[in-house]
Amino acid sequence: MRQLFIDIFFFGDRPHFERIGFLIFIIIVLVFPWMVTSAYGRAVMIKFLLFALFGLGWNLIGGYGGQVDLGQAKNVGFGAYATALMMVWWKTPFWITVIPGIVIAAAESFAVAYPMFRLKGHYFAIATLCVALVWKELFIFWDWTGGARGVEIPIRSGADFVYMQFNSPIYYHYFILFLFLLQFFFVNWFRKSKLGYEVQAVRDNEDAAASLGINVYRTKVINYTIAGGLGALGGSFMAVYYLYIDPDAVMPLDLSILIAMTVMVGGAGSIWGPIIGAAILIPLDMYLGAWLGAQKRLGIDFMIYAMIMMVIAAKEPKGVWGIIERVRKKGAR
Amino acid sequence: MMLEVKNLVKEFGGLVANGDISFELRRGEILGLIGPNGAGKSTLFNCIAGYYKPTGGNILFEGKDITGWPPHQVTREGIARTFQGMKIMPNLTVEENVMIGAFCRTGNRQIARKEAWEILDLMGLTGEAEALPAGLPIAVQKRIELARAIATRPRLLMLDEMAAGLNPLETKEIIQTLQRIKEEKKLTLFLTEHVMEFIMTVSERVIVMAAGKKIAEGSPVEVARQEKVIEAYLGERYAKGR
Repeated sequence: MRQLFIDIFFFGDRPHFERIGFLIFIIIVLVFPWMVTSAYGRAVMIKFLLFALFGLGWNLIGGYGGQVDLGQAKNVGFGAYATALMMVWWKTPFWITVIPGIVIAAAESFAVAYPMFRLKGHYFAIATLCVALVWKELFIFWDWTGGARGVEIPIRSGADFVYMQFNSPIYYHYFILFLFLLQFFFVNWFRKSKLGYEVQAVRDNEDAAASLGINVYRTKVINYTIAGGLGALGGSFMAVYYLYIDPDAVMPLDLSILIAMTVMVGGAGSIWGPIIGAAILIPLDMYLGAWLGAQKRLGIDFMIYAMIMMVIAAKEPKGVWGIIERVRKKGAR
Repeated sequence: MMLEVKNLVKEFGGLVANGDISFELRRGEILGLIGPNGAGKSTLFNCIAGYYKPTGGNILFEGKDITGWPPHQVTREGIARTFQGMKIMPNLTVEENVMIGAFCRTGNRQIARKEAWEILDLMGLTGEAEALPAGLPIAVQKRIELARAIATRPRLLMLDEMAAGLNPLETKEIIQTLQRIKEEKKLTLFLTEHVMEFIMTVSERVIVMAAGKKIAEGSPVEVARQEKVIEAYLGERYAKGR
């Protein structure tokens, strides 16, 4: 029991360094809504935490697992639709709708992982992309999910911790922070667990992993299943935060790619990578878009955005975290 | 009997890489497998370790038929292996590489770490524990592979070309390490090599392969005198001219 507590809440290999980083991060996000009072600033912060949360989940398959998955949006969609539809149909409280969201996403991931992991590398990436697009088309086509019109969650009055609807963004800030920390500590436990090490061994060398008694195929399928389930959690938040969802908002290709990009820019295969990546890309996206949009220069923000990503991808394949690690190691010597 | 290979056949398309190979491996012995390049040594290794599915024949490990089992199950049954071209996990530290081996027998990280450190100590790798394997010398990388294989707690250890790429001094060191861990962990060793000095000094018994067939079996001294063996290594003319 004590060991489990340590595994969840303590940092692994370089505890001192990581502890300081985490403390700084947590102080910033705790005081942020009291320092920044503009609605836009707070919205940027919430979106940052949301994408850091998505990134943490994707990091399991894309970072630790080394399998480029371009279909995480389908899991976000499953979470969002589970929450929205259950609230509309049966007035189910938020915290109960989270569970079927995660279970459906995990079950679907498990089912498609089985044939998909016969593919490798680029072929696997294309397969994940196709599966996600098929789901999006199905949700547009189906009437019982609201089709292309989407689903609207009825608005309630006042602060409501059962349906998680609030008047002030401060509540949403701490709400998403709570979900983020839940996932953060789960991933912190995962990366040091037996499964976490097996997943990394498979990423680095499949033959070697098999020679050490690891069932390569099974490890990939389980990892993909868990990553899928984690994707749904952020989706559930999106449903209650925006109060309106449609397939274009919660399961587009852009979302899948942005999730993958935040992790790659920040540093795949590190628990800090998704946080750093989201901290760079999300404010950049929102402020640059707003600023250039106001000057009627739409599209330029995407060009700048793409350029930054290309430079990072070309200069440092391990992302910003890779640069930090290298500088730190040089300092230690 | 530790390992029995009966009439093993492995074909790739029309090519017969292993044609009707049979041999036995006794508990606690060191068996060497030699032969010129392309003799089918690695194929035989991969068939036993589960990386290739044999076309025919049977492989029995401690009396249990393990023919065609996937590699991870073969390892869990008690056969560990190293690779000819080293396959070390490059993004994980030396300690983590060995820990993953130890995870084969336990789900607990503390136990796995403790075991990994015992083996690192045994292999003289404690100084490199925190390092990433990529920058380390080949001799050290070979030790990491060995340490990792031992961490899975095998009863039979199969070493593929352990001495390749090592200088004579490093070869001597790795022989000493091997003999020490064999005693300490009560292992049975099966090794392939085309460096003759290595295998002739280490093994108690030797199997010689050429062109996919077993051509000789016996003690190193016996085998080295056989005409067929000399022929396989040095060519027919040399053997006749002696």
